[in-house]
Amino acid sequence: MLKVGFHRVSLIRYTGFKSSPYTEGALFYGEKLAAGQARDDVVSQAEPEAAPLKEAACKPGST
Amino acid sequence: MSPEMTESEILKVRQGIKEKYDRVAAAGSGGCFQYPTGKDGMDLQGYPPELLRDFPPEVLAAFCGVGNPFSLGPLAPGDAVLDIGCGAGVDSLVAAHLVGAGGTVVGLDVTPGMVEKARANQARVGLAHVTFQVGDAEALPFPDNDFDAVISNGVFNLTLNKEKALKEAHRVLKPGGRLRLADMVLVAALPPDLSDKVENWFQ
Repeated sequence: MLKVGFHRVSLIRYTGFKSSPYTEGALFYGEKLAAGQARDDVVSQAEPEAAPLKEAACKPGST
Repeated sequence: MSPEMTESEILKVRQGIKEKYDRVAAAGSGGCFQYPTGKDGMDLQGYPPELLRDFPPEVLAAFCGVGNPFSLGPLAPGDAVLDIGCGAGVDSLVAAHLVGAGGTVVGLDVTPGMVEKARANQARVGLAHVTFQVGDAEALPFPDNDFDAVISNGVFNLTLNKEKALKEAHRVLKPGGRLRLADMVLVAALPPDLSDKVENWFQ
C-alpha cells in the first residue's frame, strides 16, 4: 500500500475468520495524501491470533 | 502477478474464480466458505445490529466477507463510496445506508452473476443511491479522484496483480480519501505440496 502511494498504512487487526490453517482475515487501512499534507509512513502491524477455525463447512483450502 | 505463473495458469485461475463465484451467486454462500457467513458472520464481525435490522434475512444471508471494513472508521453522510468486489452487494448496501440519500455507492464485481444478485438485493432493501456494475479491480472504470472512500472485503487476495489493483484504488480516491480493506492473508508458510497449486486460488 505504501508502494502505490497510500500513507498512514496499518494492518489494524486480524478478524479471526480463517479460510485454511494458513490464512486469516485481516483489516487494512490507508489514506491518499491530501494536498499540502505531509506523508505519515509509520506502519503499524498487528500479530495474528492463534484462533481455531470457527467453522469447517468446506474442504481444506477453500476461501 | 506471480512471475512464475504461466499464461495458461493465469487463465485457469481467472476461470476458476469466475466459476466459483458463479456457483456462489446461484446457490448462496452457505457451505462455500470455511468461516461463518450470512448474519452470523456479520454479527461476529461487529456489524451494528441496529443497522442489520433494516435488512431482509435473505440479503444478510448473502454476506461472505472476511471482516468488517466499516469497523475501520466512519463513513460520512454524503460520501461517495466504491465497493471493490461487491459480491452480492451486502457491504455496498450497508455503505449506502451509512452515507444516506445524499451519498452515492458503487458496487463493482467481476462476476456478472454476483452483480445480478446484488441488484436483486438492492431491490429488496429499496435504496436508490447505490448502483452495481461489472468491472475488474485491476482496471477500475472510473476517473481519477472520484471517491471519498474505497472499501473491499475478501477480494484483493483473488486479484492476480495486487499492486495494480491497489494502484487503481489509490487513483480513484480523492485526495484525503480512505481505503478500508478486509482480506485474507497468509499467516503461516504453506507446505511445499500446497504452495504452488493453482487450484489454491479458487477452491
